[in-house]
Amino acid sequence: MSVPGDTRGTGTWVGRTVPRKEDLRLLRGMGTYIDDVPEPRGTLHLAVLRSPYAHARIRTIETAEAEALDGVVAVVTGTEVAELIPPFAGDYEKPGFKMSHRPALATDTVRFVGDGVALVLAENAYIAEDALGLVFVDYEQLPAVSDVEEALKADAPRVHEELADNVLIEGGNRTEGFDEVFEAADHILRERFRINRVAGVAMEPRGCLAVYEKSDDAVTLWTGTQVPHMLRIGIARYLGWPESRVRVAAPDVGGGFGPKMYLYPEELLAVAMAREYRCPVKWIEDRLEDFLTTFQARDHVYDVAVAYDDDGTVRAVEVDVAVNSGAYSNYPMGASLEPFQGPLNMPGPYRFRQFAFTCRGVATHTCPTGAFRGVSAPCVTMAMEGMMDRIARHLGLDRVEVRRRNLVRPDEFPYVNVVNQFYVTGSYVECMDRALEMVDYGGYLAARPPERLVDGKYRGIGIAVVTELGGHGAARYKARGLPDLPGFDTAHVELEPNGRVRATTSFSSQGQGHETTFAQIIADELGVSIDDVAIRGGDTGNSPFGTGTFASRGAVVGGGAVMRASGDLRERIKKFAAHLLEASPDDIVLEGGYAHVQGVREMHVSLYDVARAAYGLTESMQLPEGEEFGLQAIATYDPPASSISNACHIACVGVDAATGLVEVERYVVVHDCGRVVNPLLVKGQIQGGVAQGLGQALFEEILYDAEGQMLSATLMDYMIPTALDVPTLEMEHIESPATDNIGGFKGAGEGGVIGALPAIACAVGDALAPLGANVNRLPLRPDTVLGLIEGAEA
Amino acid sequence: MKPAPFEYFAPETAEEALALMAEHGVEARPLAGGQSLVPLINMRMAQPSVLIDLNRCPELAYLRGEDGMLVSGPMTRQRELELSETVRAACPLIAKAMPYMGHATIRNRGTAGGSLSHADPSAELPGVALALGAEMIAGGPNGRRTVPATEFFFAELTTALEPDEMLCEIRFPEAPAGSRAAFAEVGSHFGGLALVGVAAQIDLDSAGRCTKAALAATGAGERPTRLSSTEAVLTGEVLEKQSIAEAAEAAAGDVEPLEDLHATAHWRRRAAVAMAARVLHEIADEAGTR
Amino acid sequence: MTARREVRVTVNGRAYARNVEPRMLLVDFLRHECGLTGTHVGCAHGVCGACTIVLDGVSVRSCLTFAVQAEGKEITTVEGLADGESLTALQQAFHENHALQCGYCTPGFLMSLTEFLRETPNPDEGQIRERLSGNLCRCTGYANIVSAVQMAAQRLREKGGVS
Ligand SMILES: Cc1cc2nc3c(=O)[nH]c(=O)nc-3n(C[C@H](O)[C@H](O)[C@H](O)COP(=O)(O)OP(=O)(O)OC[C@H]3O[C@@H](n4cnc5c(N)ncnc54)[C@H](O)[C@@H]3O)c2cc1C
Ligand code: FES
Ligand code: FES
Repeated sequence: MSVPGDTRGTGTWVGRTVPRKEDLRLLRGMGTYIDDVPEPRGTLHLAVLRSPYAHARIRTIETAEAEALDGVVAVVTGTEVAELIPPFAGDYEKPGFKMSHRPALATDTVRFVGDGVALVLAENAYIAEDALGLVFVDYEQLPAVSDVEEALKADAPRVHEELADNVLIEGGNRTEGFDEVFEAADHILRERFRINRVAGVAMEPRGCLAVYEKSDDAVTLWTGTQVPHMLRIGIARYLGWPESRVRVAAPDVGGGFGPKMYLYPEELLAVAMAREYRCPVKWIEDRLEDFLTTFQARDHVYDVAVAYDDDGTVRAVEVDVAVNSGAYSNYPMGASLEPFQGPLNMPGPYRFRQFAFTCRGVATHTCPTGAFRGVSAPCVTMAMEGMMDRIARHLGLDRVEVRRRNLVRPDEFPYVNVVNQFYVTGSYVECMDRALEMVDYGGYLAARPPERLVDGKYRGIGIAVVTELGGHGAARYKARGLPDLPGFDTAHVELEPNGRVRATTSFSSQGQGHETTFAQIIADELGVSIDDVAIRGGDTGNSPFGTGTFASRGAVVGGGAVMRASGDLRERIKKFAAHLLEASPDDIVLEGGYAHVQGVREMHVSLYDVARAAYGLTESMQLPEGEEFGLQAIATYDPPASSISNACHIACVGVDAATGLVEVERYVVVHDCGRVVNPLLVKGQIQGGVAQGLGQALFEEILYDAEGQMLSATLMDYMIPTALDVPTLEMEHIESPATDNIGGFKGAGEGGVIGALPAIACAVGDALAPLGANVNRLPLRPDTVLGLIEGAEA
Repeated sequence: MKPAPFEYFAPETAEEALALMAEHGVEARPLAGGQSLVPLINMRMAQPSVLIDLNRCPELAYLRGEDGMLVSGPMTRQRELELSETVRAACPLIAKAMPYMGHATIRNRGTAGGSLSHADPSAELPGVALALGAEMIAGGPNGRRTVPATEFFFAELTTALEPDEMLCEIRFPEAPAGSRAAFAEVGSHFGGLALVGVAAQIDLDSAGRCTKAALAATGAGERPTRLSSTEAVLTGEVLEKQSIAEAAEAAAGDVEPLEDLHATAHWRRRAAVAMAARVLHEIADEAGTR
Repeated sequence: MTARREVRVTVNGRAYARNVEPRMLLVDFLRHECGLTGTHVGCAHGVCGACTIVLDGVSVRSCLTFAVQAEGKEITTVEGLADGESLTALQQAFHENHALQCGYCTPGFLMSLTEFLRETPNPDEGQIRERLSGNLCRCTGYANIVSAVQMAAQRLREKGGVS
């Protein structure tokens, strides 16, 4: 009898740098992404005919020629689809909201370039695309609006005719006594920040394969999603089916970042068509469609006013947020996500006690917008840190001093900030001080000439002290009025009959490494090697119910659930082992794949033997009294509130005086996400996040013209960072474990991007400060920056 | 993003290829490296009904020196131009500009003829060809004709080639002894699409005085642009800080940039000046005149 | 639809023959006709590099090549890199350095870099980054890929052999 993986003495797994288990298949080309899922025989390929206009009435659709094409099975128009799929909504009726609906395919009106008007089912993707060219739509073009501020004007074209205006949602709040404090401060500074619309650009576009299961009259939807359970709820609801008839499974997903946490029309269409035509239906998005239709983000305007005293202490902050919501609000987050996340994140690490905000989500004739890594936090943090720099410049103080005066201090934790965020632990001052040391802030300033021009480049340094709100529990989502986000997650952990561990979770993975981090947590709980732990998830058919992967939930909520379930399992294993060793369960220690009696290593039994006994695979009955067969445990975890990580990012840039091209020459991060499961993976998350933030800060931008035509729908026109853009981060961790959640973990998925926008924008601002240039809009493309330089020189 | 149907021919000789072009006329496109044509076909922005694949004509891929000329076949890969010792010796400007062209994997496939025929205004090789005064040999139903680079590039993606003509050969004058070359370009970020570049070959006498200057800008107009004013300012001068600044600034008057999604016309003009200054400084540094 | 043509290729040492339309992209051929789904499509317009393969010894974009163009040629895809259970030095270095997250871009990087390390056994960071700039990764921010290439190059030099 072989003993599985004896790893005695390997110590604890959590906290260790462990290369990922999932790599081994991905490196060999053995991953299974959506287009790799084997197509059942007879799979039909679905293609969507998309509107070339931002706003138009559909007069007629001619499908005959397309239908006549060899290999085309059906052409279905929006009106026909409407009989199968009712328009779906991203929001619920509630105060401040206006309900809007999105038909899976437009029936009479298209509302953005890319809005679907008809679909084709054909034998292969080539023919499907041929057929799209043979569907003729007669459109009556209508006036369109693409800019958020234009859309707010009284005479703006309305996106949803049934609504009084384009404001889908609005809200606001003012702390008590705000006005008096604001007026009483020594100074007031105002600024408007214009943030650029960006796209997630996961390297794998969206896609899905809906397989009709004849025997159950059910559909299995394979789809590249972050939230399989949420999708199943949505699909079942909108199609009016029982949930038992819908299974949603996510295979390997080539990047998520937020846009893949929504229900998309194509998913509903594939499911409905699979049922209608009783066959598998596949849709794979191409990159053009991705730019036109996958939800985008951060098309925001912030009007900020800060009231502060002579010593730099901020007394009160006021912000007005206008968010371009695009043409529709989306299930399950609705239109409230970006507008409300802005103010929620604005105070960040700062301790001011007066705050007023108003926010609006505004419909336009553009691609819908929503979650993208960090949501609005990168933008408001840029605004907040931008104001800190302005205060410093205005008062002639050092930026660090102004921040220091306003940061929540080490002795103030636990701290509840002005928007009621509960900061259990944190290291705002410590992270900043360490980062300044690493970058040699004093030395940098001393070495720099007053005009900041060295070798033809203006040199600047930008500091961002940031918080990252993540791992939200149920209470947070309920407080925000989001009924379709449960907030908790679930893990099911079992010791299999051969003594190895298998866990299924409500998570799906888009590269975060859950197969490794969850295995590390379980390995510690059960005293086994991670090689003996298999993690599965992302399939409503065989994984337990939960919320899914977004908002840095992985370690906090998923890890918590895994820890609870494996803790429960550990106690059961101990009972079985105790029975076999004739000892007390309290004296049993699990280590190295064995259970032994504390202090008496010779008295041991392998988990293999424990499992054999527990599953009745023994000659005699070996069940402890009162125990049932099997070794498994299921547990949910709902963290108390949000977990709040923090970091300090410092960017050093060189701005080419002749071309305006900005180079990020150095980048330092000191990061605190509580207890770290796997430092290698956390570093990877931050480096990757900074790269995305760098792209947004410097050149990424989805551009629409005034008529709502998208100008940047290819990777030639919408550029993302390359290896020549992104420096290797110099990074250190500080650990302030969370004390109010089970593992002590805090989220780490979003901090990178949250810090990069402000750090880089502030660095460019600093470089050009002697010229008097005002950096208040992104991206800082060379032509924009050159304009700032020349404008200031003029 | 799937190509529309087309008919495919893979001729094995240049003659066959030309015959096919004559037969199919405007319906047909030659397929060289495919690095510009296939993206357009995949997006159905180009839908030629006939593709004539030149990749199986070995006789169209060559490089040789001939009477003071570096002669290249149209199907010579860009990667070969980049790495070839012959090119480095005869026309260092080509060798210097090549690494800027896309990426190694793109250059493995992309060809000299494809780049020149495609005539993207910001492409490097057309700028180099213009600076060097290259000659394009076009072949068609009526035989061969020679088109100087100055008359080859008409406008964005438009050249002097007739629809049934093929670029059959490119002839680059070899660099005179004592000349120096440099290339520089800038985009809206690093490693991505280049927006504006300048190619320069400067002949210097023994005193370091410029006897002949040849500069061309890419991405600063609807076609590559010769920087004649810059050349005029430089000729007869020693390359040093002042003369370089004046010469580079003169480029502003030579270019007629257009605004697009990536950059304003003003920026492109300033970028052309900046790149002209950069290449001239590089040459001055190399020659030790600065 | 246009007349199909026979395409015979050797992929990772195995011969395949299929009848396909001339318009079929090589990447679709490899993925859907040969079942080699390790080669990915990230853009189908040549920019991202996810579809990079080795065709007759050099790296190329398989989304910019038609299957008919590969007739009679030899192809290596990511599936052909590792020898049985053992990863190549480059794959192993990717693993140890956490040079992949979602892994979608990874096959393209591996194919391009395998060629690079053969041509440039002792690369400096600038050369590595220059080479990497031909492939896009949205997850990693590239730093760990740079380290992986450095590690692989060093190990290959020590081993004095090819991958
Ligand atoms: C990601 C990416 C980045 C790139 N970056 C750059 C860059 O930085 N700089 C740059 O210059 N280019 C760049 N390119 C384009 C690349 O250099 C192409 O190789 C080149 O523009 C076209 O060459 P080709 O051999 O691939 O031609 P093809 O794409 O095959 O053909 C291009 C056009 O020329 C025609 N043609 C080809 N050969 C002939 C001939 N002999 N006679 C007549 N007509 C002919 C074709 O019919 C077609 O219309 C990039 C491409 C990609 C995909
Ligand atoms: S898929 Fe071929 S380069 Fe992107
Ligand atoms: S690892 Fe996800 S795109 Fe590179």
